[in-house]
Amino acid sequence: MPILRFLIQRLLQAVLVTIAVTLFVAFAIRLTGDPAIMMTAQSSSVTEADLDRIREALGLNQSFIKQYFDFVRNILSGDLGESFFRGSVRDLIALALPSTLLLAVASMVVSIALSIPLGIYAAVHKGGAADQIIRVLSLVGLSFPNFWLGIMLVLMFSITFPILPASGFSSWQSILLPATTIGIILTATNVRLVRTQMLETLSSQYVMVARAKGLSEKTVIYKHALRNAAISIVTFLGLQFGNLIGGLVIIELVFNWPGMGTLSIEAIAQRDYPLLQATVSILAIMIVAVNLAVDLVYGLIDPRIRVA
Amino acid sequence: MSQNDTISPLLSVKDLTVKFGEGPREVCAVDGISFDLHEKKTLAIVGESGSGKSISSLAMLGLLKFIGGRVSSGQLEFQSSVLGETVDLAQAPEQVLRKIRGNEISMIFQEPMTSLNPVFTIGSQMSETISLHQGLSKSEAQTRALEFLELVRLPNAKRLLTNYPHQLSGGMRQRVMIAMALCCEPKVLIADEPTTALDVTIQAQILHIIRDLQAELGTSVIFISHDMGVVSEMADDVLVMKASKFVETGTVHQVLGHPQQDYTKALLAAVPKIGSMTGTTAPKLFDIPGMAQATKPAQVKTTDTAREPVLEVENLTTRYDIRGGLMNRVTHRVHAAEKVSFEIYPGETLALVGESGSGKSTVGKTIQQLIEPASGAMRYRGKDIFSLPREDRKAFQKQTQYVFQDPYGSLNPRMTVGESLVEPAKVHGLISTKAEALDKAAELLEKVELPAEYANRYPHQFSGGQRQRLCIARALACDPSLIIADESVSALDVSVQAQVVNLLMGLQESQGLSYLFITHDMAVVERISHRVAVMYLGQIVEIGTRQQIFENPQHPYTKRLLAAVPKLMPGHRPTRVLLDGEIPSAMRAVDDPPRLVDLQQVSDGHFAAL
Repeated sequence: MPILRFLIQRLLQAVLVTIAVTLFVAFAIRLTGDPAIMMTAQSSSVTEADLDRIREALGLNQSFIKQYFDFVRNILSGDLGESFFRGSVRDLIALALPSTLLLAVASMVVSIALSIPLGIYAAVHKGGAADQIIRVLSLVGLSFPNFWLGIMLVLMFSITFPILPASGFSSWQSILLPATTIGIILTATNVRLVRTQMLETLSSQYVMVARAKGLSEKTVIYKHALRNAAISIVTFLGLQFGNLIGGLVIIELVFNWPGMGTLSIEAIAQRDYPLLQATVSILAIMIVAVNLAVDLVYGLIDPRIRVA
Repeated sequence: MSQNDTISPLLSVKDLTVKFGEGPREVCAVDGISFDLHEKKTLAIVGESGSGKSISSLAMLGLLKFIGGRVSSGQLEFQSSVLGETVDLAQAPEQVLRKIRGNEISMIFQEPMTSLNPVFTIGSQMSETISLHQGLSKSEAQTRALEFLELVRLPNAKRLLTNYPHQLSGGMRQRVMIAMALCCEPKVLIADEPTTALDVTIQAQILHIIRDLQAELGTSVIFISHDMGVVSEMADDVLVMKASKFVETGTVHQVLGHPQQDYTKALLAAVPKIGSMTGTTAPKLFDIPGMAQATKPAQVKTTDTAREPVLEVENLTTRYDIRGGLMNRVTHRVHAAEKVSFEIYPGETLALVGESGSGKSTVGKTIQQLIEPASGAMRYRGKDIFSLPREDRKAFQKQTQYVFQDPYGSLNPRMTVGESLVEPAKVHGLISTKAEALDKAAELLEKVELPAEYANRYPHQFSGGQRQRLCIARALACDPSLIIADESVSALDVSVQAQVVNLLMGLQESQGLSYLFITHDMAVVERISHRVAVMYLGQIVEIGTRQQIFENPQHPYTKRLLAAVPKLMPGHRPTRVLLDGEIPSAMRAVDDPPRLVDLQQVSDGHFAAL
């Protein structure tokens, strides 16, 4: 049962990644400041005894190892714990996670909808004017920072022409600007990938065979060539989705999007250990899960690695 | 040309000229070729690489535009029954061509491993063509696909429909390609080197199938090949091309039997003809017209077994482990070489022959110490190599040199030829100064009959044959006593191949070299070797002098291998006992070791497994 072995391997891998990431995050955040002092920074009459009491209440007087194992034990029993300031971590994540996923998926959809047709067109008309323009635009897209594009889009569509909301998540229109921003950024890379992969499959012998059979160019390109190019495209998109979830932080800040990125940034700012540890763990698990899903989909589209 | 002149030809090509590129970079790939293809006949287009023969075939399907070429002048008149009129394939619009491609004119390509789309099943790839041209429903198309898979004698045709290409061997894939090309019963089948990438016994199988089906379906065939033996077996008429140009044409008897042009004569002279050395014992140089050295006989007539062998290999066993299961344990082993034993004497050539998967290259690589053997011994002039410490083994490595098949991949493109040539000598500390290196490079180039000033050039400036000479020169850098030539001439055009084989024989004579000549090509073996060892599934099944093996083969596999080689006898259609299935795999479960063959003496120095 190679598939079972594969799944077990991946599961072990996921556990190791999560342990490593949470351990590192829990350790690093404790180096950056004491939440008890941060909490009481506004008031002037705080004694050392008050601070100790706060630390005891938050469980911070215990050793690091003890604190970490408590956190792990709670997670394993399904309890994400309490934020230092904002109540149940679970409730906070339940609100933030769907918005982040929604934004990530919407961005990928925008990028796929742009890069696949453009990439195919560029490959089929290799060396033509359209191919040149697509390649130059892609280079431009790769060269400027994503938050800058976000700000430009806000200026254009929320300030100059106030047709779309600039920030927050209040209606479905709110997602258009952030998703377009990330979508365009991703397209810059993806269009190149699609183009190269298509060029490679289009020059393969089985494509010539398909043409020699009398098939129309449409069938040759969209069935025979694209299906093969899709193998590497899907792999890449999957890995990209993982990176994307991590990379959403900045865009969420620019658009004040109530997602996991915003949540973890706030947690860092407030030294909210339980919240930060939980958000980071969930992001890590999600990235591993996406990679696993990609491997499984890969088997579906490539019969050569499909398990008999 | 032939008795068909009165009937108008099915396909008439007039003055076909194909060009690539524009303006100053324009290249003429086919220059004014004309021929007629008649019903139920086979026309062979023969030529070496770069002669434009494959380009001509793509022109007939109107596929040139996809690789950047175009028919710049000439007509390709085809009598189409689908359209009920004569169509000029050079001018016809894409929609018309699409009705003809795969339907009335279909094509089989050279490389069966990459001809089928890896992500679709055999059944869907076949029924796609059938549905397209015959308007059949999906299930009707599947039935027809099945019918044609059975026609090309594929076992388990029904299961094959749901198989993917990677589950099939090269020979099976080529049969699928034939079935796919024929499933709309085309009037013309273009076969572009359909057997070049296949083993010789599989080649014989495929040639039979094409011939049988041609007779059954009444198809005309354009057979493109560089192999004169194959052409002699398949063709009615022959057209010879050289460097994009027409050379000569005629019936197969005329062209192969009484060639008129010097090029055709030279081409035929360079073809090793199996059986041509019957009654002789020593290797013989190829007779290349216009080359003086062709008359010089080989120095070593027969192997002097009384002398101490250069190399003795005893019970050499090399296996590759295949891991699997939850614990990643070794579940299977590829028994690439099992108890292989032989000796190579000074100045002799031992040919190690076999088909893909026979383990012949594994033996060569184990001797060169590129792979660690599982067991066995190897003695170089009596000294046991595997028992030596690492540093001393390296000294032996200097004594054996390897020449690979691919002359393109085995020279570093960023080093000058001179640097590449002297590198082994540098590694082994034979030269140190720059002046020595220059002298050495010049000397090596001279040995392989290339000008000394080539030392400053880069590999891409050389042709395939010249590169293989360079690889041989590099192998000579350390004054080795044994050269392992692993399919070293297989990738070369036949005229170049003859020159390189002559060079190897000349070097053997002047330097007293021994060769382990690893190849699948029996005809070349007959020319070059003193003794022959035949390998099958990792074991030597027969070994003896060249004369013993070729004139009195004992093992059934040796016989089959010899019978499968196409002979240069125009019009001769051999009937062979065909290998029905595939060559079995040398991979076996761990607890199921292969049965060891028992070599028995047939006559003096001739052993065979019986």
